[in-house]
Amino acid sequence: MMIPKLNLAFRVMAALLAGSALAPAQLAPVPVAPVPAPAPPAPPQAAAPAPADGEAIFAAIVRVENQSWEPNYRVPWNSGGTGGGVGTGFLIAPNRFLTNAHVVSDSRLLYVKKVDDPKPYEAEIVHIAHDCDLALLALKDPSAFENVRPLRLGGVPLLNSTVIAVGYPIGGQRISVTRGVVSRIDFQSFAHSGVDFHLAIQVDAAINPGNSGGPVIQEGMVVGVAFQGYSGDVAQSTGFMIPVPVIHRFLEDVSDGTYDHYPDLAISHFNLQNPAQRKALNLPNDGIGVMVASADSAGSAGGLLQTGDIIVAMDGFPVSSDGFVNMLGSRVNMNEIVERKYVGDVVKLKVIRQGKAMDLEITLKRFLPYLIQANQYDQKPQYVVFAGLLFQPVDRNMMAAHGVNNLNVRYLFNFYSQDEVYKDRPQIVVLTDILPDEINTHFDLFRHQAVDEINGRKIRTLEDVHKALGNPQPEGGFHVIRFLGEGRPMVIEASRVAAANQRVAEKYNVSEDHRFGGSVMAP
Amino acid sequence: MMQRFFLLVAASGLPLLLGSCVEKEISFNFNFGGAPATTAATSVVRVHATNQGYNFVRPWEKLEATRRSGLGPLVEGGRVLVTAELVVDHTYIELELPDTGEKTPAKVVGLDYEANLAMLEPVDDQKKAAFFSRMKPLELDSSAVPGDRLEVWQLEDNGTPASTDGTVIQVGVGRYFVDGSFFLNYVLRGSLQYRTSSFTLPVIKEGRLAGLLLSYDSKEQTSDVLPAPIIAHFLEDLADGNYAGFPNLGLSYAPTLDEQLRKYVKLDGLEGGIYVRRVSRDGAAQQAGIQAGDILLEIDGHPIDARGNYDHPKYGKLNFSHLVRGDAQVGQKVPVKVHRADQEITLSLELTRKPPTAYHIDPYMFDRGPRFKILGGLIFQELTLPYLKAWGDQWANRAPFKLVHAHANQELLEEEQGGKLVILSAVVLTPATVGYEQIGNIQVTKVNGQDIRSIKDLGAAFAKPENGIHKIEFDDFPKVIYLDARMAEAVNAQFGPRLGIKSLERLD
Repeated sequence: MMIPKLNLAFRVMAALLAGSALAPAQLAPVPVAPVPAPAPPAPPQAAAPAPADGEAIFAAIVRVENQSWEPNYRVPWNSGGTGGGVGTGFLIAPNRFLTNAHVVSDSRLLYVKKVDDPKPYEAEIVHIAHDCDLALLALKDPSAFENVRPLRLGGVPLLNSTVIAVGYPIGGQRISVTRGVVSRIDFQSFAHSGVDFHLAIQVDAAINPGNSGGPVIQEGMVVGVAFQGYSGDVAQSTGFMIPVPVIHRFLEDVSDGTYDHYPDLAISHFNLQNPAQRKALNLPNDGIGVMVASADSAGSAGGLLQTGDIIVAMDGFPVSSDGFVNMLGSRVNMNEIVERKYVGDVVKLKVIRQGKAMDLEITLKRFLPYLIQANQYDQKPQYVVFAGLLFQPVDRNMMAAHGVNNLNVRYLFNFYSQDEVYKDRPQIVVLTDILPDEINTHFDLFRHQAVDEINGRKIRTLEDVHKALGNPQPEGGFHVIRFLGEGRPMVIEASRVAAANQRVAEKYNVSEDHRFGGSVMAP
Repeated sequence: MMQRFFLLVAASGLPLLLGSCVEKEISFNFNFGGAPATTAATSVVRVHATNQGYNFVRPWEKLEATRRSGLGPLVEGGRVLVTAELVVDHTYIELELPDTGEKTPAKVVGLDYEANLAMLEPVDDQKKAAFFSRMKPLELDSSAVPGDRLEVWQLEDNGTPASTDGTVIQVGVGRYFVDGSFFLNYVLRGSLQYRTSSFTLPVIKEGRLAGLLLSYDSKEQTSDVLPAPIIAHFLEDLADGNYAGFPNLGLSYAPTLDEQLRKYVKLDGLEGGIYVRRVSRDGAAQQAGIQAGDILLEIDGHPIDARGNYDHPKYGKLNFSHLVRGDAQVGQKVPVKVHRADQEITLSLELTRKPPTAYHIDPYMFDRGPRFKILGGLIFQELTLPYLKAWGDQWANRAPFKLVHAHANQELLEEEQGGKLVILSAVVLTPATVGYEQIGNIQVTKVNGQDIRSIKDLGAAFAKPENGIHKIEFDDFPKVIYLDARMAEAVNAQFGPRLGIKSLERLD
C-alpha cells in the first residue's frame, strides 16, 4: 500500500505533530543505513562460541557487503560514484538469503560472509522489492552453506514479548545480539521507497545501522527483518522490523519467478461520522460505511468507483465509518485487506451508489503514478542534452538532486497522481541545467521550467523532446520550445545546433547526448 | 521601543537595494545644520500612529496594536505628508509639534498603499490654523538627480533639528511597500544616526522637500528615498478631490537581448523592444489591443531598449514602467508602438488602474478585515495574499501548496472562473462538524448547487438548504460534505458568545 491513498487521517496527524518541536521530516523513520564501507578486515580470529541455543541460528546469519554504484542526477552522462555498505542477511531456504532491499540497492558487486569464516562469497540478487524493502539473494557457489540449516519463519509476536535482533551493526566483524520487547504493531511508512506503507513492528531492542536485513528472533524462529529506526534526536529505543505477514507475502509473490509488487485500490475515502452527512446520503446511523472521495483513473478502481460512492463492505467485512474492519479478531484499516492480496486478485466491494446497493468486483493491479514520488534505485538517470540544455524527467531523485523549486513543476510532481497529470504528461520534462555556450547564453530564465511544447508538438515524454529536437529543419529554421506558464518562447536557430552540440560535448565531456528509460507509467 | 520602529522600516524596505537591516553599527558623521535646521523645526511635525492589523487566520480578530512614529513635512493647506506604511491599519494618529510638544489628533485625508503615501490633517478643522500657526509649509522639489547633495532631517528628543547630508547615487525604479508595486526611488549615500520618530523622515534639497526616507541600510550606508516626482503625482491626483491612483499596464515582459529571439520575431535591423509575455484580462494593455508575443518598441514617443529601459532626460536609463505608472495619470492616453508579425502598429493606450479588490486573490488588504463567514463551525474566507503570508517569510513553501499554486496562477484562474477564490479555511469541532475537523484550506466550488465566487455568494447559497441539509462541494479531498442547517444555526447562536466573536460574518 502506498501513502497517498491511505486514509487522510494519517497525513493530518503528521501535520498536527508538526506543531510540536519536531518537523514532519524528522518524524519519518530513516532506513537503518548500511554502514559505510568496512575498514580493512581485522585479522581472522577464532570465533567465540555462540550461546548454546543460538549456535545453529548464528550459522545461518550472514554479513552482506554491497559495493554500490551511485547515479549522478546532476551530471547524468557520468557513470556515477561508487560506494559501499554492510548489512545483514539470513538463510531462509537452500541458497536463498533474505535481506533488505536497501542493503543491496544500486549494487555492482555483492559478497556475503559467514559468521566464523573470513572468506567472502559472491552473491547475486534473485528478487528485489523496493516497495516492501525486501530482497532475496543467492550465492554463485552455494556449497559453503550446504550444511547450514535455514531459519524458519514464526508468526506475529505478542505485544510485550521478548525478541532478539541479530546482525552486524556499526560495521563490526563479529555478530551482535540485542534484546527487547515488542512495543507496537502498526502500519508504518517504509523509508526506503518513501511512499509505501505497510504493517511493521516496533521493538525496543537496539537496531542500528548494519542491523538492516538481519533477523529478529523469538523462540528460535524469525518474527521479523530489522529495517529502520528513528534517528536518536527524534525518538529513543524505537526500532522497526518487517513482520512475517509482509515477508510471507513477498516470498509468495516471487514464488512464480517474478515479483509483481503490491496492488492498490488507488482511492481516497472520507469517513462518514457526521450525522448530516449520513442523513443526506440516506444511510442508517449504524456506523458503517466510508465515502469515496476520488478513485484514480489509472488505478484498480478507476472507472468502477465514483466520487460519492459509499463502501459498506470489503470482501464481506463490514467497513466502519472510520475506514476500519474487524478482521481476524482485531480492528485494522480496510486497506489491510488489499494489502494481503496479489496483482490479479479480486476484491469484492459492497457499495451504495445514489441510494442503490450494488456489488462490485475489482481486479487489483499496481498503481504506477505514485512511483514518481518514490526513491528510485537500480536505474540510470534519463536525460537529453541539446545545445547545452539538459532536459530530465521529473522524479524524486531528480527533484532532490537539482533542488527544483519552480511552483509549476512542484505542482506537477506533487499532484501527478491525484490530479491525473500523467494522462497528458506521462513524463514531466524539465530544463534542469544549462551548460553555458554562446547558443544558450540568454536562456537562464527558463531554468527549472517544465517543457510544454516543442515545434508545435505537445511534449509527453523525454523521448518526445529528443524526437522533436532531432528534426534538423524545423519550420522557419528555428526550434521553438515553449515552457509551461511562460509566455516567452525559447528559440534556437537550427543551423547553429550541430556546431553547438559538438562544442558542448567536447567542453563538458558529455559522452552521450541522451539516455531513455521510459516513464513510471510504463516501467 | 522607537529603535524597533526604525528597524521595521528597514526590514520592510526594498530588497532590491537593501543588503541587511542590522541594528548594530550606526555611525556618527552628522551635522547640526545652520539655516536648513531652522526650517526643519518650523516645517516638520512628529507623527505618532497606532497600527492594528487584522488577523487573517482568525478573521474576526484584530492583532495586537503596535505604534510607529515618524517625521512628517508640513505641506500646503495645513496638511502633513507621511508614508502610507506609517499609518497602515491605523486606529489613532497624533501630530506633535517639535518644539512645544503640543499634540493634536489627526485623520487620513489621502492614502495610496501602492505609492506608499498618506496625507494627514488635524481632526479638528477649527484648530488647524492655530496648531500650525508658527510653521511654514514645505514646497516640493522634483529636481534631484544623481550627484546631488540632499539633507535628511531629524529631530533630537528636545526638538532641536538635526540634518545629515547624503549624495544621490542612483535614481531607478524599485520595489515599494506593497508587493508588485514598482516606482521611482532615489538611493542616497550617507551615514545616518538613529533618532526617535524615524519611521519616515523628510529629505530636503535646498530647503524644499525632495522626498521621504523609507529605510536605511547601516552596512551599505545607503537610504531609499520615495522621491518628489511620485509625491507630486500623489498631490496632483489628490487635488481634484477624486483620487484615481497610479495606473497599471497589466502586462509582463521579457528582454529581447537574445539575438535568436530577435531573428525569430523578425526584429533584425530594429533596435530595442521588449517581448510581451502575457497581458492581463481587462487591463489597460489588453484594452489597447496589445497581445502576448508583441514587441513593445515605443511608449509615448520614447524608444524602449532591449532591457526595458528608456532614456530619461534627467536620470538616464530608466525602466519603462515609470512612463505608464509613476509618471502618468489614470485616464491619460499614450501612443504605443508595437511590432507584430513583421509590421509596426501604433496603438492608443488608455491608462487605467486595477484596484486590489479586482484581483482574484487580493494582493493586499489594509484598514479592513478579511471577508469571512462562519456556519456551524465551518470557517469560510476569501483567499488573499495576506492570508498566505500568515505562514511567515517562508510562506511560499509553508502555506497550503494548492493555495500557493493558485496564487501564482491567478491570472489563469481569473480567466477561467473570475470572482474570488473562496476557501474553507478551518473547521472548529462542533456538534454540526463532527468528522470534518481535519479538513481545511480547500477551495469551495459549490454550496447547495450554486457556484461560489465570493463570500456573498455563500450567504445567498446557504439560504437554500435541501431537506434541511447544506451540501458543500470542494475542488479537492473530500470533495463534498454535508451540514445540518438547523444544527448549524443552533451552533452559530452559541458560537459568538462562547468564543467572544462579535460577528460571525464580514461579507463586505
